[in-house]
Amino acid sequence: MTNTTTTPGTSGRLAGAGRYVLATRPLGRWRTVDLLAAALLGVAFGVVYWAFGLVYSGPAAALEAIYPPAQGLVFGPWLLAGVVGGLVIRRPGAALFAEMTAASVSALIGTKWGATTLVAGFLQGIGAELGFALFRYAAFGLLAAIVAGALSTPFETIYEWYMYWTDWDLVQKLVYGVCFAISGAVLAGGLGFALTRALASAGALNAFPPGQEARDRLPG
Amino acid sequence: MSGDPLGRVDVTGLTWRPYGRPQPILRDLDLRIEPGERVLLAGPSGSGKSTLLRGLAGLLLTADAGELSGSVRVDGEDPQARAGLVGLVLQDPGAGVVAASLGRDVAFGLENLGMPPEQMPEPVAAALRAVRLDPSRGFEPTAPTSALSGGELQRLALAGALAMAPRVLLLDEPTAMLDAESAGVVRAVVEEAARERRLTLVVVEHRLGPWLPLVDRLVVIGADGGIVADGAPADVVDEHGNSLAAQGIWVPGIPDPEPLDIVLAPKGRAVEHGAPVSEARGVSVRHTSRSMSGRERVVTAVRDADLTIEAGSAVALVGPSGSGKSSLLAALGGLTAPAAGRVELAGAPAGMPPHRLSSPELARRVAWVPQWSSAALVTRTVGEEVLVTARATGVDDELARERAEVLLERLGLAGLEARDPRLLSGGEQRRLAVAAAVVHGPALVLADEPTVGQDRRTWAAVMGVLEAARREGVGLVVTTHDDGVMARADEIVRMRAGRIVGRGRDGEVVVPTAAGGSDTTRPDAEPPTRRALAAYAGPLSLLLASLLVLPLPALLDSWRQSLVVLAVEVVLGAVALVAPGRGPVVPGRWRALAIRLGWAALAIAGVAWSTWLVGGRNTEVALSAAVRVLTLLVPSAVLMPFVDPDELGDHLAQRVRLPARPVVAFSAALQRFQAFGELWDQLVLARRVRGVGAGRSVVARMKEVGAVALGLLVGVFSQASTLALAMDARGFAGAYRRTWAGPATWRLADTLVVLGGLVPLAAALLAHSLFLE
Repeated sequence: MTNTTTTPGTSGRLAGAGRYVLATRPLGRWRTVDLLAAALLGVAFGVVYWAFGLVYSGPAAALEAIYPPAQGLVFGPWLLAGVVGGLVIRRPGAALFAEMTAASVSALIGTKWGATTLVAGFLQGIGAELGFALFRYAAFGLLAAIVAGALSTPFETIYEWYMYWTDWDLVQKLVYGVCFAISGAVLAGGLGFALTRALASAGALNAFPPGQEARDRLPG
Repeated sequence: MSGDPLGRVDVTGLTWRPYGRPQPILRDLDLRIEPGERVLLAGPSGSGKSTLLRGLAGLLLTADAGELSGSVRVDGEDPQARAGLVGLVLQDPGAGVVAASLGRDVAFGLENLGMPPEQMPEPVAAALRAVRLDPSRGFEPTAPTSALSGGELQRLALAGALAMAPRVLLLDEPTAMLDAESAGVVRAVVEEAARERRLTLVVVEHRLGPWLPLVDRLVVIGADGGIVADGAPADVVDEHGNSLAAQGIWVPGIPDPEPLDIVLAPKGRAVEHGAPVSEARGVSVRHTSRSMSGRERVVTAVRDADLTIEAGSAVALVGPSGSGKSSLLAALGGLTAPAAGRVELAGAPAGMPPHRLSSPELARRVAWVPQWSSAALVTRTVGEEVLVTARATGVDDELARERAEVLLERLGLAGLEARDPRLLSGGEQRRLAVAAAVVHGPALVLADEPTVGQDRRTWAAVMGVLEAARREGVGLVVTTHDDGVMARADEIVRMRAGRIVGRGRDGEVVVPTAAGGSDTTRPDAEPPTRRALAAYAGPLSLLLASLLVLPLPALLDSWRQSLVVLAVEVVLGAVALVAPGRGPVVPGRWRALAIRLGWAALAIAGVAWSTWLVGGRNTEVALSAAVRVLTLLVPSAVLMPFVDPDELGDHLAQRVRLPARPVVAFSAALQRFQAFGELWDQLVLARRVRGVGAGRSVVARMKEVGAVALGLLVGVFSQASTLALAMDARGFAGAYRRTWAGPATWRLADTLVVLGGLVPLAAALLAHSLFLE
């Protein structure tokens, strides 16, 4: 630490990346705080999912009773850990790490699907990674969040067709897939983006790119 | 170089401006510390003392980005040149804990250094001995970190630093959150360690008195980030004592501050002066802490307490950590339900226990200032925060505004009405929380350690508000270790091990306690030895066996085949849960199974219903689907409770060879699951007490989940930064190849579990070929 160093910190900007603050390069070199944020975020979402599960079971059961394929519409929030993890940390693997940690917590606490929650977490996390990868980990706005949220669902949908919805016919399976994707886009993508913004303006993300963006947005 | 004393610190022209701040926090700082010197660093809040410590450790860039210039050198090299060269202990006890047991936590730094596990027990034991957490004092290396008190956690953090053989030791307000007794032990331990190991010591504190005899030099940092004074402690105190006290530092020889005099617009007394506001009769409070797998630990925090709080009087609850003060406080206010006994709140509908009151009803009568003030903040702006409870309880708006304005002005928060409360400093948040508690004029105000860790100015402000409330006729209950607060109380109630043992003006009147009861509220540990067979298996085999069900949906076509497989699984499950041997059995395995099967039943009902409804109302198909899903869920229900989250990390890293650093982060995060759950409960409780708790409607409860989730996540990220600092200080930043103190052996039980997991698959294949349907 000699001479003046303007740390690359979170102010690196790639030519052509536009308005997004990116993570410190190289992307594969995670700081300790990145790792901890992803892991702690996952555990926190594990707690949130559990609390949320208690509250939403009413409306979900109602949907399920009336037209089961539509229940995909309420499953979006379970994808939040991955989307928010990716939006905050902005490195490849962040969404997967956060979503798998949340799934681990769910599996360990003992929610409905037991150890198979881990498979779900993996498929959902990979989907979110794919979404962010499509933007080359250089754009993290609302569109990227929506795409990541929507793409969190297709692998999981196919898995669920195989595991639980085996006896539905093709149309119903497709309706479920579409409902789930919409839920992912809106309730994970849109809500996740809003959540990240709210966290940044609460000053929680000072160590991460969204925090820098929030600072740059403030006047003066 | 050899023979030269080690631990010289040279700071030259250090300037640090994090992005987002217009002014640098540290400005062109020059500092030279000789080997073995002991320095006390003082300065007003926000002056950059903690930042300087981070700079001395070379950790400014751990969780921040900004402009850094100048240099810091320890014995001529970068502080991070060798992991652990500079040890760092942070303010918040438990903020740096990464492992489940004492020994493992201390070994963290050694793991990062790549020390072979066989060599670890010696330095770990030596470090624990140095901080008085060794077996001779009742602390085994396998003791859980979750059972430690604040002072013990700080000593554990110190042990973690000492195990790495540092030359320089940095302590950031190590005793700020501790009571006098624990603080004394920490100071003694620090002094001994510094003397025996000839460490260079730099301590930041805002209560100077107890540390002055232990240090050689007092350095004062000014509000602008430069050094204002530097010299022998006595000289600096003589010269700058008054100005330091004016800036909020507790200087010995300067008299204690007086509470601010605050006059509030009267709101009208709810309860007559002297009449009881809250009465507790024979109250016992139990805490159930549930581990991730469902195992419960019940602690009786309060036993058979009788206490009456009168309007216009202040009661101080005092006692060592773990004596039940906070629990009794919560019970008095109807925040928690007592396990036995009765609490009556004045003005509550007859016969209605206070913990059943709706949120606005409770808020009208009770206010609560928790120890972590940030948990009590429920709105987006300071202005809203002081008024939200008044609005929720129907207090006249103009009166509320008048009172709020006076409070904000006297507490130094006047210009901040539009600011987000979460962006305020710790002291400002504390003042805001106390102000917001009295604006709506409740009859009972509960404050949990309101003055701990605060500087003189916040102390005077907080006490001023509490005194004003008392003059108004509020019944005040405060848990505290602070002599100044106790001196101003009308009654002191002493607690120990959950019982009230003393009352009266000085707490001197001894209350005879019923016979029995141990000296601490730690649960009696008669460690049960008899375990289920599945408990002998490691986490990986249990997970694998639970996941071997994945091929089943492809193999099971009819309910007969599914039933065969289910029967096989039930038999295997029963075998796994058998606990052979004699003696007390580890409790909870049936309960854990029952909980998971309960959830599974919900899932199965859902699948059966939807299959029936959507699959043409065919009962046989629906039944078949139900049984099939049951076969998917039974192995998890049986085996998952035995997965030990503390072992999981070791096995993932050493057996599966996942990259080391993410696995460690994962493990450290899992440790905090319980704390996050408790934080969630606290946030929900705070909203209830402030009058904004959700009622019955689903929409309201969903909104509350959202708001509390946001609050939880904000807390989570600040923990991430602090923990990153603590971990990097122990060499984690470069620990790509590290060793593991805990073994990850694959035992016979593991092989048997995996084989057992394959049996249902084999049965499915068999059934598939036999029942060709």
